[in-house]
Amino acid sequence: MRISFQEELDALESSLRVEGELVLRSLRGSVEAVCAQDLELADEVIAFDDDVDSQYFAIEQGIELLLARQTPVASDLRLVLALLKDNLHLERMGDLCVTIAKLTKLTKGLQPDDALLEGFKEMGERAEQMIRVALRSLEQRDRVAAESLLELDELIDRANRRVVNRLLDLGHDLEVREWGLRMILVSRCLERIGDHAVDIGEQTAYLVTGEFREFTDASH
Amino acid sequence: MVTMSTDSSTTIEPMSLADIAKEHGDAGVTNREAVFQVNDLAVSYSGNVAIRDVSLDVFENAITAFIGPSGCGKSTLIRCFNRMNDLVPGAKIAGQVLYHGKDLYADDVDPVEVRRRIGMVFQKPNPFPKSIYDNIAFGPRVLGLKDDMDGRVERALQQAALWDEVKDRLKESALGLSGGQQQRLCIARCLAVEPDVILMDEPASALDPISTTRIEDLMHELKREYTIVIVTHNMQQAARVADMTAFFSVEVSPDGKRTGIIVEYDRTAKIFTTPADKRTEDYVTGRFG
Repeated sequence: MRISFQEELDALESSLRVEGELVLRSLRGSVEAVCAQDLELADEVIAFDDDVDSQYFAIEQGIELLLARQTPVASDLRLVLALLKDNLHLERMGDLCVTIAKLTKLTKGLQPDDALLEGFKEMGERAEQMIRVALRSLEQRDRVAAESLLELDELIDRANRRVVNRLLDLGHDLEVREWGLRMILVSRCLERIGDHAVDIGEQTAYLVTGEFREFTDASH
Repeated sequence: MVTMSTDSSTTIEPMSLADIAKEHGDAGVTNREAVFQVNDLAVSYSGNVAIRDVSLDVFENAITAFIGPSGCGKSTLIRCFNRMNDLVPGAKIAGQVLYHGKDLYADDVDPVEVRRRIGMVFQKPNPFPKSIYDNIAFGPRVLGLKDDMDGRVERALQQAALWDEVKDRLKESALGLSGGQQQRLCIARCLAVEPDVILMDEPASALDPISTTRIEDLMHELKREYTIVIVTHNMQQAARVADMTAFFSVEVSPDGKRTGIIVEYDRTAKIFTTPADKRTEDYVTGRFG
């Protein structure tokens, strides 16, 4: 039994869980910042991304070292490959939260639309749920849970379309239109976070079955 | 003025991802002719069953690796392919080994002819205490293949990637060669009698990493013309060189008797990414014992 190897694998996996928790904090912060127009919180989210990034690099280096020294095969190999990709997906989610925070700062002083902000709250909650399901499916090697992400993604996609429709109804006021343009991007960021969660689910399915497969043919 | 060269003769055609996938994919070696077909084989030594219930096909122009812990019967099995077990007193074989469809153990089969067609390379290089030239020429001479001996020796040494290193000292003793060179000499000696199959029992386990790499590269070259079966303790070696991999394990009976069994036989890519059997998974990932 290769004890140190197993310990290294476990350490990588728990580090990824920590990264997931960091991303969840970042997501909650960014949605709260945009909904409350809280510029201070937006700055905090932007600064906090360094924490996500350093976790990302630590995992990346750990994987590099493990591949070089331990030559994992079979389910170990699949786990390491899945972790390598999941790590990147989480880091990208963190970046999307930063984008939301920056868009929040760019819309300083512009009049928000309450219905839209409600939509963001909903999307933020859905994205958070998706990240949790994705991380749990990995932890429990649960393919069914991983595949359920596709349905959850459909809900966040619909919310995204509602946001766009609402924006089209906002009228011709220049300030409102500028705010709306920025907010379309916020909506898009949240929707993309959902996509990354689906991708993590796909890695779990690969880990369990050994088959590379996208859950859906369409690019989400 | 410097211009970009477009001389195609200097371009090495890179292997495409499609080529790699084809070599390791489903449509690979298993569609080829089976050189050996093993059916329900069991081998015992003085009544002790060393290995039993083995059925597998060895495919043409492929490298087939046998892996597994000590005592799993992998060396016993490879020795059945050229009737080396005949030389062991008390050895008994049940079941069938077909070679190109013909029963290798039929009464009318000459074991010497079998060993000419199915050569073997051992763990420890075992050159004869003779010159490099005579080591290679020995087999052909015994078989009465006398014409163009120089050409035969050169071809065998070329094929074994040893020619350039020894061409100026063919009359010197083979024992003066390094371990890695001696092993390639043994491979050349095996090739000189123009075999069909090369069996290798731990061919690189006594060699340093550089010599090991040379042997592995050589195996890759040789499989274009020969069928190769290798027994190895080094799982990564199997992963690197083999097209097909068989994993063997040991079963211990209540009275403490140990018998080798075949657990899984599949494409090497499958064995090392998604093995079907838990025991294979545990072995290749190092979770045994």
